[in-house]
Amino acid sequence: MKKTSISRRKFLGTAATVGAAGVVAPAIITGCSSGKAKVFKPVDLGTFLDQAPDGPVLKAGLIGCGGRGSGAAINFLNAGPNLQITALGDTFRDRLDRCREGILKQKGQVVPEENCFVGFDAAQKVIDSGVDIILTATPPYFRPEILAAAVAARKHIFAEKPVCVDPVGARSVMATALKAKEMGLTIVTGTQRRHQRDYIGTYNQIKAGAIGEIVGGNVWWNGLKLWHRDNDPSWSEMEWMIRDWVNWCWLSGDHIVEQHVHNLDVLNWFTGGHPVKAVGMGSRQRRVTGDQFDNFSVDFVFEDGRHFHSMCRQINGCAPNVSERLQGAKGSTNCQNLIQDLAGTEIWKYPYPADAEGKENPKAMKPAMDQEHVDLVTSIRNNQGFNELENTAISSMVAIMGRVSAYTGKEVTWDEMMNSDMKLGPKVFAFGPVDIPKAVPIAGEAYVPPAPGQKT
Amino acid sequence: MKRFLIWFVPGFIVGILLMVGGGKALDKTSTNDYCVSCHIHPAADMSWKRSVHYETQSGYRVACVECHLPPKGHGYLWAKGTTGLRDLWSYWTRDSASFNWEDRSRLEVARGHVYESTCIKCHENLFPAELTKEGEDAHLYYKQTKKTPDLHCINCHLNAGHYMEGYTHGSNKTFGSVSSAPKEIYKEPAKVTSHNSFTELIPNSSISFRMIAIPGGKFKIGSSDDEPFRRNDEGPVKEVEISPFFMAEIEVTWDEYLAFYAQTSAEGRSSDTEGIRAKQPSETDAISGATPPYGQPDQGWGMGQRPAISFSYHAAETYCRWLSLVTGKTYRLPTEAEWEYACRAGTETPYFFPGVPKKFEKTGLKARLSKNDTTIINSYVIFKTNSQAKTQTPDRVKPNPFGLKNMLGNVAEFCADWYRPDAYSLYEEEALSDPKGPESGEEHVVRGGSFMDMAGALRSAARDYTRTEAWLKTDPQIPKSIWWYSDCFNVGFRVVCEFDEKTGKL
Repeated sequence: MKKTSISRRKFLGTAATVGAAGVVAPAIITGCSSGKAKVFKPVDLGTFLDQAPDGPVLKAGLIGCGGRGSGAAINFLNAGPNLQITALGDTFRDRLDRCREGILKQKGQVVPEENCFVGFDAAQKVIDSGVDIILTATPPYFRPEILAAAVAARKHIFAEKPVCVDPVGARSVMATALKAKEMGLTIVTGTQRRHQRDYIGTYNQIKAGAIGEIVGGNVWWNGLKLWHRDNDPSWSEMEWMIRDWVNWCWLSGDHIVEQHVHNLDVLNWFTGGHPVKAVGMGSRQRRVTGDQFDNFSVDFVFEDGRHFHSMCRQINGCAPNVSERLQGAKGSTNCQNLIQDLAGTEIWKYPYPADAEGKENPKAMKPAMDQEHVDLVTSIRNNQGFNELENTAISSMVAIMGRVSAYTGKEVTWDEMMNSDMKLGPKVFAFGPVDIPKAVPIAGEAYVPPAPGQKT
Repeated sequence: MKRFLIWFVPGFIVGILLMVGGGKALDKTSTNDYCVSCHIHPAADMSWKRSVHYETQSGYRVACVECHLPPKGHGYLWAKGTTGLRDLWSYWTRDSASFNWEDRSRLEVARGHVYESTCIKCHENLFPAELTKEGEDAHLYYKQTKKTPDLHCINCHLNAGHYMEGYTHGSNKTFGSVSSAPKEIYKEPAKVTSHNSFTELIPNSSISFRMIAIPGGKFKIGSSDDEPFRRNDEGPVKEVEISPFFMAEIEVTWDEYLAFYAQTSAEGRSSDTEGIRAKQPSETDAISGATPPYGQPDQGWGMGQRPAISFSYHAAETYCRWLSLVTGKTYRLPTEAEWEYACRAGTETPYFFPGVPKKFEKTGLKARLSKNDTTIINSYVIFKTNSQAKTQTPDRVKPNPFGLKNMLGNVAEFCADWYRPDAYSLYEEEALSDPKGPESGEEHVVRGGSFMDMAGALRSAARDYTRTEAWLKTDPQIPKSIWWYSDCFNVGFRVVCEFDEKTGKL
């Protein structure tokens, strides 16, 4: 039995987060290990590598060759020496070709034709193609199944957030995460703030008590409209939905799950817990296609009664704000790079590296989307078993809890989510019409006008 | 100094000897052979040898003390000392042939002598690669709720250390597919036009059961302040009038329940998480019945004429709606007043037979010393003293004066009323006929006591109630079943059939 918790603690600031157990052993009986103290130690940023260490060739297969998947493939190849993309899978040939071309143009690597898989069964074929690592950035709906299959085949994984769109998927991923942990697999999940050096530097300050106990806060993703695809008469409804996936709840989880999960994940990370109750509201004002809202406002409550407010919007021409703010008993922080006292005076600032002109510049810091792949490959090559999948499953479930509350207008609890059999998506999965309710949800009960002549 | 050495050196040597000897003695008294040398239970030895913990995949043989004592450093010595003393005491003072070993392997008893810390010590990894989907859900549920002490590994893995015939771990899809009932299939329900006892026939099944005509009348509900074992919710005593009705002679049997299950059981399960509570279907809707149970709802005691158990209150109500539909009569659960009226059958004493509770106690030191005679209660009631820790068939007991069997004991029975401790004081004074209890509530009334109860809880006036959350505590399914209780197997029900005196309609 091999203990890896110390090195992992140095590696990333996960020691104080949920479930940082540190024993790697594949058997059913792991038996008899001594206590695993979860003591917080500040992360030494010196251990952050700009490049992953060298080692034998690691082959990765990419499932989901859209924009983010293609980007993740390049991020991965940039992470260190001896890294290859050897298989691609997507529902659509044109997306796969574009991605394959990008890899060739930018990194000079040719993905062999026999390892290019198209269709709904592409994922399993990529997993079975002899790769060491699975990179996946499909619409989130597909994530739980792909993760389960990849872990069953003992692959290391980079998976984009969110990792599920409904409670059934969330629980499946939680179990997959724990299985992977016992196998010692490395899993990085696209919640890149946890790989961002300024966030981690700030996290260390907060854990050391810079703002005292956290008493409340806000998280925001108030941003622009994302993309949409208009229907094409040559497409089936299924094809249109998948190509237009960020606008359909069953595929994306709605934007509170698909995008705002980043900020909710920071809330969970910094507080070391997660909300257990949500009362939310939201609506659809300017979204063009699909069945989703374009704004949510949710009051999240922790077990101990602390309230945190979450707000997200995808509408152009409104006040933008993508950030977090946590209030402590002694001060506040934006979680990213700044700590203020109660009077609002700056008491700490993250020291960014200097740029070419010698000025402190956040842009001189390794971008988090690259850093997460450096961390992925480093953990695999050093056999560190870094695994953040369970955290991301919990953060995704928190976002789902907020969505369900806003859709229904009801208070929704963590226990209800953990006991829910809600599973989104059609029962039959094939190109053609998609058999799901497509109406935009309306919360609460309608006012029923009195019959004519009747007094109110 | 010399004086010190004289005392110190021998003391030191004795101390070392005690440590070495003590350690040896601990080891010696912890071997399987040593356990078996005193514990006179060949059945337990045999079942251990047939269990998965004897022939393990890894070749490791799990010893008696590994499950029946906590791990070293977790109260091992204390537990070894106390259980050792208890064993010695039993060995010298009690006859091992009088022990009910089967009872000791029931879940709630077994929880007392199987240490969860030991399970977790070896089974540290609850998510092995080969874990099934059902296992994932169950272990996630365990992980979420393990802060509460209620959930023990053996809630689901009771057969891990000792083989149990027919133990099912998982969704029991074949449940109810074999019935012990006779084969004649009834086409029509019984035709009844007068208030006389009759035999109901369930159409499209081979099942029949007796319905006893209960005459109308007045009685005093509750118990007087001086009744022994009385609790406050049994008063104030009120005089109540009850209209004539029919009541089943016996508690609903497995044969009867399985007829319902076979004709209505469904796979589908629904969720409340989108805020849409499952709507009660109206009377005329086709009835969608129970989903398959998880595990063995009859507890492995057998079915047939034994009372059905482990199903939910919702299932009992659905059964009544179904029975009404297929027989064209009005079947339902009895009201609490109807139940007590039928149970008392004209008596005003603690039981419908002669005697007082404390003369019937057989368990406990004082009761054992006082030579209580349980002959009378034994002939009428299945309770803790004579039940062998399980339900029994109705032919074991004599009926009450109305002809009803097992009103007290065997299984407790659901009533239609919501439970409130002060329910009787809420009865409307002017119209004390056929009271229906509080208009709303959280839990329903349960009456009659069960095979697990002592004489004091089996009085005609004793009241109890459902405990929905606790009774579903260890259901590992997500969501939890609305049809089966995972943690309640001593409650059943009895149907009543309405009778309209004016029209003669049932």
